[in-house]
Parts: sequence; structure tokens; C-alpha cells
Amino acid sequence: RPFINTPQATGADQAVGFGLVGFSLLLFTYYTIWVIVLPFVDSDHVIHSYFLPREYSVILPGVAALILLLCVGTFIGVITWKNRKPKKVD
Amino acid sequence: MATLKLYKFTVCAIYNKNIIYETELSNRNTFILTGGFFNYNFALHRPTIFITMTKLLEWLLGVSLIGVAWGLVTFDLLDLQLPPQYRELAWPMPVYLLVVFGCYSLATVGYRVATFNDCEDAAKELQAQIKEAKEDLKKKGLKIVSAAPVHVG
Repeated sequence: RPFINTPQATGADQAVGFGLVGFSLLLFTYYTIWVIVLPFVDSDHVIHSYFLPREYSVILPGVAALILLLCVGTFIGVITWKNRKPKKVD
Repeated sequence: MATLKLYKFTVCAIYNKNIIYETELSNRNTFILTGGFFNYNFALHRPTIFITMTKLLEWLLGVSLIGVAWGLVTFDLLDLQLPPQYRELAWPMPVYLLVVFGCYSLATVGYRVATFNDCEDAAKELQAQIKEAKEDLKKKGLKIVSAAPVHVG
């Protein structure tokens, strides 16, 4: 095995990293089938039962983006609040 | 009877510092755009309008072309009467491309986190240097309030 003495990322880093890769692959596959493949499949095929109605393919990412923005904004707000310095009184 | 003063001017489109398109216009049939791009070209001896294609303009042009194409297909503005499957495919496209871009970014970040090699020696050296600096500054009278613990691992 060629990687015995070379430095490697520790277990936690690898787990998180490859977990992210796997998650994004899954998400990409599911979403691609939902948006691109399903319109060309007969509407009485069993595969349609595994997917929500088509409107949700636009609504759900929109909601996710909003939640992400909320989290980022809250985080920034909390950090700014913690670091506020009291004004000098002259 | 009012007389119309006729002006002739040239419009030049520039891409990569070369003039790729040049046309003569007159105020009889066009609006004159002024401000920013309006110049007097002494070689041509007439007012000239330059449109310089910056990267930003290039991007905006590309994005707006794609946007117009998407709008035409989704809202059926040209009555092209495409098959319904292609219309179903077209309308979530902007969201789909965003999600794909997000997935690609996530996968890239994850992969780089997983394959980024730990540098044990560099970490130890850094810790030692931080300790040295703290002691040195304490000697010189600086109070050190550490905001976050330095953690390796």
C-alpha cells in the first residue's frame, strides 16, 4: 500500500469529507431524476410514487435557501451582538 | 418650417481591443445615447459611440440571452407549441442549475476536507511558537485574554 508513511487526514476529517461527498451525490441523483427524467416517464409508472409533485422541486430548494439565509443572518447577528462595545461617554 | 439638423455618427463595438463592428447612423432614425461611451473620433472626424465589451458585459449578455430563451420556452411567448414534456422540463431549470451548483460546491469542499493531509510537525511547531510568543509578551507586560482556546485535532 503506497500511503503508509505519507501524512493523511485524520478519521473525523475523512468521515465528514466523504460524508459530504456522498450526501451531495445522493441529492444530485435524486434531484436530477425528479426534474429531468420524470417528465419523460409514463404517468402510471411506479417510480412516480417515490417523488413529490413537481411543484415541490422548486418550492423545497427555495425554502431551504431561505432557511440557510436565516441561519447565516442569525449567526452574523449573534456575533455582532456579542462583540458590540459600549460607547464612550464624554 | 423647422429645419432638422442632420448629424451622422459612427457606432463601434469593441471586443478584445479590436473593433468588431462598426456602423454609420444618423439622427433621423436613431436615438443618440450619451454619457460614458460618447466620444469624438478624430480619425473618423465624427462623433463616435464606443461599446467596450468587458468581462462583466460578456457575462451579463450571456446570462440575459439564456434567461430570455428560458422565458420564451416557459411562458410560451412565441407559441412554439413544444411537446409538454419539454415545457415541464424547462420551467424548473434555473432552480435545478442552482441546486446542481450547490451540490458540486458541497462535494468539492467535502472531498478537499477528506484529502487534506494533517501536518503533525507543523502543528506542534505552531503550538510551541504560540507559547513562546505568549511568554515573551507577558514578560513585556501585555495582558493576554484568549478569546478561544487553541485546539488541534
